[in-house]
Amino acid sequence: MLSGCLIRIPAITVGIHDAQGGVPLAILTISRQIGSLGDEIAEALSRKLDWEQINRNQLIQRFFANNTDTREQHLLNESAKFYLTQSRAAGTYLDELERSLFALAQKQSAILVGFGSQIIFEGNKDALHIRIVAPEKVRISRIRRQFRVSESEAVRILETADKKHKRFVSTVYGADLSDFSLYDLTLNTASLSVDECVAAILAIQQEHNERLKIEKESEQSESIDHQSDLPVFKNPSEAEFARILDMYQIDWKYEPKTFPVEWDAEGNVTLAFSPDFYLTKFDTYLELTTMNQKYVTGKNRKMKKVRDLYPGTNIKIVYKKDFYSLVERFNMGSDSYEGDTK
Amino acid sequence: MTEFKERRIVYTAEDLRKRVAEMGLQISADYAGKELVVVGVLKGSLYFFADLTRAIDIPIGIDVIAIGTIPNTTKQTGVVCITKDLDLDITGKHVLVVEDIIRTGLTTAYLVQNLDARRPAGIKVCSLLVNPAQQLINIPIAYLGYEINDAWLIGYGMDVHERGRSLPYIAELDRR
Repeated sequence: MLSGCLIRIPAITVGIHDAQGGVPLAILTISRQIGSLGDEIAEALSRKLDWEQINRNQLIQRFFANNTDTREQHLLNESAKFYLTQSRAAGTYLDELERSLFALAQKQSAILVGFGSQIIFEGNKDALHIRIVAPEKVRISRIRRQFRVSESEAVRILETADKKHKRFVSTVYGADLSDFSLYDLTLNTASLSVDECVAAILAIQQEHNERLKIEKESEQSESIDHQSDLPVFKNPSEAEFARILDMYQIDWKYEPKTFPVEWDAEGNVTLAFSPDFYLTKFDTYLELTTMNQKYVTGKNRKMKKVRDLYPGTNIKIVYKKDFYSLVERFNMGSDSYEGDTK
Repeated sequence: MTEFKERRIVYTAEDLRKRVAEMGLQISADYAGKELVVVGVLKGSLYFFADLTRAIDIPIGIDVIAIGTIPNTTKQTGVVCITKDLDLDITGKHVLVVEDIIRTGLTTAYLVQNLDARRPAGIKVCSLLVNPAQQLINIPIAYLGYEINDAWLIGYGMDVHERGRSLPYIAELDRR
């Protein structure tokens, strides 16, 4: 029977995949204040991920160079209102920009810097939106060093840039650039280095990808994704096993998914299996069993059904003796234990 | 001193010699022209590692690594850690991890993840023995000696409380 845990049915979303439908593609949007180190962070991310970084100038060159003249390109660079005027193609320049960006996102992963890309990709689960900020005082100091200008000159540069960014997003998208709900993650570089920010973004991006993978698998099959449920272990053995996985630095998720395995004549689920752990890096589901053999037989039967109904699902049972072997290993502290330790 | 009773010899010294020679030949062919570092996981793989590396007839680097477990003292903590790290730099090189036996695969997974962070050109696993029924983590084993069952084994590097490692063959133990 279905367990009593809360089941969340995910909203259906259109995902981004590469041209072969294989490795999922992703978009990172970076919105940054001038003097916030946002460009440096985008550059470092681009190197680490080996993803193309695209800012406003590159975007204009890439999407509009062939179908606009010099005057139009100048206006695309300088005027927010111009994006809302009729382009040579169907719709406005903004429509054309959005179409081009969506097409790009179908082909490759990318880091989009500025131009309100967080709004274009708002609600797209394959996109993560990052805002990089810093206190005004810190930004002025950085602008002074970067442009070798006086403090008053730095203040002027800062105010002009902030006003221009705000106006662009407000005019083109009718949105407020400083609205926190536009971003998944906001980083303040007052005391965070570029490397620290990059590490934080990479960590959240990896975790996000792993969660999306399960969510998308659930959308494509009858299985049910409930990753948003809080992990509440059903018994101490599960908590102990989670600790063992942590010791081996093996990333896991607790009961991220339910696999329906039997249905009645009306299509209602009558039997389902929610494996205890999912090892994200090894694409393996583990079901822990520390109970009597008669229950193990039932679990084996369910596991076989999961394998039959959901081909390609890698699922295993951790048997009582193996579980206690692992627990004992840590209690013994011997490196000569008869098992995996050497 | 722990006493143990051998029930039967599972793999004789001659069996092992032949199988290790075959594996060495295969590895030599697969890695010809590549820069390979063969990493033995102490202490269990000691004899297998020594025989295998001598059965590989291409130039290789050899190194050893040891993993230990620090027991839980507070019931909440315990640590798996590298107690002897590599001396060689494996960045940009092909790495072959040599294990005596893979059971759950947790240790191998830990090791492969750790070595992978050092950006080698590639990592493959070679194990003399594996128990597929016990394997929780599917680490691909590129070179495998034998599949085994749940039997308690000793010899050729494998021990019971440090006894029996130096036996030249692999024997099954009586569980009594």
